[in-house]
Amino acid sequence: MSKKSVVGENRDISLAINLIKLGARLQVLESETTLSYERLLKLYKEVAGKSPSKGMLPFSTDWFMSWQPNMHSSLFINIYENLSKSCEIDEIDAIIKAYELYVEQVKLLGMEPLVSITRAWRLVKFADAGMVTLSTCKKCTGAFVNHSFEIDKDYVCGLCAPPPRAGKVAHKKVSADQEA
Amino acid sequence: MITNQQLMQEIQETNMSYLMLAQHMLREDKDQAMFRLGLSEETAEMMVSLTPGQVLKIASSNMLMCRFRFDDDIVWNLLMSHSKPAKPLDAANVSGIHAGILMAGKIAESHRMAAK
Repeated sequence: MSKKSVVGENRDISLAINLIKLGARLQVLESETTLSYERLLKLYKEVAGKSPSKGMLPFSTDWFMSWQPNMHSSLFINIYENLSKSCEIDEIDAIIKAYELYVEQVKLLGMEPLVSITRAWRLVKFADAGMVTLSTCKKCTGAFVNHSFEIDKDYVCGLCAPPPRAGKVAHKKVSADQEA
Repeated sequence: MITNQQLMQEIQETNMSYLMLAQHMLREDKDQAMFRLGLSEETAEMMVSLTPGQVLKIASSNMLMCRFRFDDDIVWNLLMSHSKPAKPLDAANVSGIHAGILMAGKIAESHRMAAK
């Protein structure tokens, strides 16, 4: 970190702005850019027009496993995997682009995006760390987010075999802005 | 004879607008365009480098330059969303998202194959 390049800093700032616009938490910015906390805080207030939310990031992998979040996060991770495998692209750029495509697709289907950019970023990190994995559904051959080390030879996804009360919680309306 | 000629013309027009759209998308954002178009990096690079003259030449063929990306029954059924009974959550949405997962996964798979 000794050599500070102006070009690199410029890249960091525009990356941070992009992330803030998508609603990322400060912790994401801190880990993805080399900018100082103070500068990020200033930038955040300037771009978002408010102070960033405080508190820790959600750190449990369980959120991604319940029915609705699972289909949303599986959609995101499939797009992300696709992007990162098909082209030479930095991880964070792939996350941003995949997230944009995810939001676009979900909105086209008339739904609210359940996964926030922070969650999406978290999910990729979880996958990198081997804390979650992708299991292939035996029926539809799609890849779905699942706990690591689960026996998934006979895995059937929540969409091929929805749980009896699937979608009932939808009335509580958990939108991406409220969580994370 | 006239219909055949019309057909030719329509194919060429479709080719033309496909190639132009693809070029436009790829220049805007190459990575996202590759996802949307389902192209490999080599094909994408080749397409971007085409000059208007080349585009015109390629478009004036009797064959379509683009084709269906998904030849999978499951994806088609989901897209048409026949199969799902009424669910608390709108059934069309669920099969839509299901199709999205499968489609995004399919292209990733083909890239994986190509990389091998």
